[in-house]
Amino acid sequence: MATAIIMPRQGNTVESCIISKWHKQKGDAVVVGDILFTYETDKATFDEESSVAGTLLEIFFEEDDDVPVLTTMCVIGEEGENISEFSPEGASAPAKEQAQEEKADESVEEKADDKPEAAATTPTGDVAKISPRAKNRAEKAGLDAAYATATGPNGRIIERDIAKLEKSGPSITKAAATSYVSGTAYAGSGIGGRITAEDIEKGGIEEALVPADFVEFEDEKLPNIRKVIARAMHHSLASMAQLTINMSFDASAIMEFRKGVKAKGEELGLPNITLGDMVVYATAKTLLKHKGLNAHFTDDTIRRYNTVHMGVAVDTERGLMVPTLFNSDRMTLSQISTNTKELAAQSKSGTINPDILQGGTFTITNLGAMGVETFTPVINPPQTAILGVCGITTKVKEVNGSIATFPSMGLSLTINHMAVDGAPAARFLKDLCTNLENFAVMLLA
Amino acid sequence: MKYDLMIIGGGPAGYLAAERAGHAGLTTVLFEKKNVGGVCLNEGCVPSKALLYSAKIYDYAKTGSKYGITFEGASLNQEKVIKRKKKVVKTLVSGVKGALKHNKVELIEGEGFIEKRSADGFNVSCAGTVYTGSRLMICTGSVPLMPPIEGLKEAYEAGFAMTNKEVLDLTVVPEKLVVVGGGVIGLEMASYYNSAGSEVTIVEMLDRIAGMTDTEISTILMKNYEKKGIKFNLQSKVVKFTQSSVIYEKEGEKVETPADKVLVSIGRRPFTQNIGIENIGVSLTERGAIITDDKGRTNIAEVYAAGDVNGKSMLAHTAYREAEVCINNILGKKDRMRYNAIPAVIYTNPEVASVGETEETAKQKGIEYECANISMRYAGRYVAENEGGDGICKVLVDKKYNKVIGVSVIGNYSSEFIYGASFMIETEMTVDDIKEIVFPHPTVCEVIREALFAF
Repeated sequence: MATAIIMPRQGNTVESCIISKWHKQKGDAVVVGDILFTYETDKATFDEESSVAGTLLEIFFEEDDDVPVLTTMCVIGEEGENISEFSPEGASAPAKEQAQEEKADESVEEKADDKPEAAATTPTGDVAKISPRAKNRAEKAGLDAAYATATGPNGRIIERDIAKLEKSGPSITKAAATSYVSGTAYAGSGIGGRITAEDIEKGGIEEALVPADFVEFEDEKLPNIRKVIARAMHHSLASMAQLTINMSFDASAIMEFRKGVKAKGEELGLPNITLGDMVVYATAKTLLKHKGLNAHFTDDTIRRYNTVHMGVAVDTERGLMVPTLFNSDRMTLSQISTNTKELAAQSKSGTINPDILQGGTFTITNLGAMGVETFTPVINPPQTAILGVCGITTKVKEVNGSIATFPSMGLSLTINHMAVDGAPAARFLKDLCTNLENFAVMLLA
Repeated sequence: MKYDLMIIGGGPAGYLAAERAGHAGLTTVLFEKKNVGGVCLNEGCVPSKALLYSAKIYDYAKTGSKYGITFEGASLNQEKVIKRKKKVVKTLVSGVKGALKHNKVELIEGEGFIEKRSADGFNVSCAGTVYTGSRLMICTGSVPLMPPIEGLKEAYEAGFAMTNKEVLDLTVVPEKLVVVGGGVIGLEMASYYNSAGSEVTIVEMLDRIAGMTDTEISTILMKNYEKKGIKFNLQSKVVKFTQSSVIYEKEGEKVETPADKVLVSIGRRPFTQNIGIENIGVSLTERGAIITDDKGRTNIAEVYAAGDVNGKSMLAHTAYREAEVCINNILGKKDRMRYNAIPAVIYTNPEVASVGETEETAKQKGIEYECANISMRYAGRYVAENEGGDGICKVLVDKKYNKVIGVSVIGNYSSEFIYGASFMIETEMTVDDIKEIVFPHPTVCEVIREALFAF
């Protein structure tokens, strides 16, 4: 009995996921535990493992398709099983049409199996991997599929790539097609830039004016996460009156504390508590007295939270992610440290539950390790503020009439001036600095 | 104000460029010293077609008996023919003006003169006003070639010798007309005045008429007109004009042919003098044509040229396309001019139309070709409408690519269907593919389809 594999639901708020990659092709043998496909939500990426063994009989969606959760993605079963009942609504066109083609005419399927032989006449690697539909369409339109950008699974050229090529060209006239060498760059001088017989007589051209080993730029299609970040950042700045204030504090106390933890921590079973963890801890505690900054601001309401769901910005290979430490104000320093590390690891591996990537009431972003001295963090709406943690610099101060140096850490607080005024923001920042300068006292409080 | 584009010359290249540029949103100014429409519209292609249509009706009246129709007392009233021609020209000129206005082109009716390059681009003066624009397009066209032959200048000043301009305004049909130059203009005017009753003699230096037309076809055309009474003197070189005759050397002997009027139509030369192009350093060929590349660009950045002034093809429809190529390149669209499928028509009766290679040019270029040469009588409508017609259709196919490279036809309506052959050449469809195209029946154009089945 064939088994349908569905797009899993990742978190209650996720309605659809985008297929990033198919690891198995139609016809491949699958064992339990094989990764079938990779998919992404707005912010995280997941691998779907097979829970059944058999042959991958059909794939209904292509890479880059946005598939509603719980929709049938593919079917695994014994070869020859009827899978028509599984075809989901809204399957992407090529896959769906392919399925219809097979139903209508078995010979089409045979033709598809003929691929390697057909490809032998066009000696480029790219053209060898082309769907029969795409190949057919390219031939009809007088296009060299070698020019197509493959977006199908495993670099396969599929119909939409040819459709795109029809617009971008170059196409070849019927007469020129007889002598055309696939993959050669010809100067198309015919109608609409078509490559004519005369162009072929002239031979290929060196269109690149720069040395071939120098490429001026490379285009990369925006991954979903980048699109999401772009939208969020622009929306943030476009919809708020953001104001950043900067303050610094004497970091001697927290540095001293960290030294102690480092020395004795392992013995006491404590995690490696970082300066950043301490700032998160102090901020969560301080925010409870400044609820205007621990709030969501909407058109007509400010919702002040009585608990701090701390968003912690994490730099990942895919881009910025902000997992949430729910109820961080009730956590111990060591819990904050442990949980933050765990969430950061999940974010980096892409396995984080999307529900954890939202719901924050305040955000901390830390560029201190990179030596940033001050910056203007961008608020994550509908939050009203974000704290930027900067690096430590050495400053001087007067102590008992003489000059002394001390480590100074900068904090950059961006507020939404629509929701909060400068003075209360400054008061919060001042309190936070005081708490961090007297970290041990705060721990006792 | 600073214009995006300044165009000098309002002929087919200039006015079309202005329309396209204006339509695309470029602020455009067009300078025309005489009438928009240029030679084509005012003293060339269009008025000659008006005359030739009158002649055709008259021909039908005279030869109607072959078709069972007899006209009594048919006559041609030259004054009325010319009057109607003027009306046609006026209608079309005002149409062009309307199109320019519609596309927000500023039309300056005066002589534009290129003053210099300036910080803002180029300065063009006209009637004391200086116009500035970032781009310049030169579409000053061509003028009739008047060779330094003895007596020609005097004969022209006396009104005895004419160019294409004067010949279209004759209110009296000359009893004897000599046409020097058996090219398209000469043949069309010879055809008209032959129909109108003149005794026409053509003097041509080459051994053939109709320029680059397929020789077999130009020979048929010549025979048709010999039957109608036109005398042809080929390989004859005019040496002198008097005030009442033309003297030419033929087979080593001097021949003097008396005439009431003589049309000099031996060719045209690009008009590039006294327009100030030397002020910006635009390069010219030895013959005074502006050198352009396949995008219509001259050697000076942001200076384009299109139409007869580049000396390439000297046809109005070539000028249209060249103008579009220029504008597309100005607008940043990829486009280039191709000359391999430009149709050519001679509006004689019968018409001659051709596009692409002829046997002669194909041989010159060393193209391996096959030629289908069939009688126009393969087309039912041709037989129905052309009593005693001896037209032919030649289709040339490149053997290597199995594509059509040239079509030449002599027979009426060919002017209207030759573009179909242009399609075949431009798109490089294979003969097998073209065979799948349905032609309307019965039509004259079916002859092309018939010819293709010879392959």
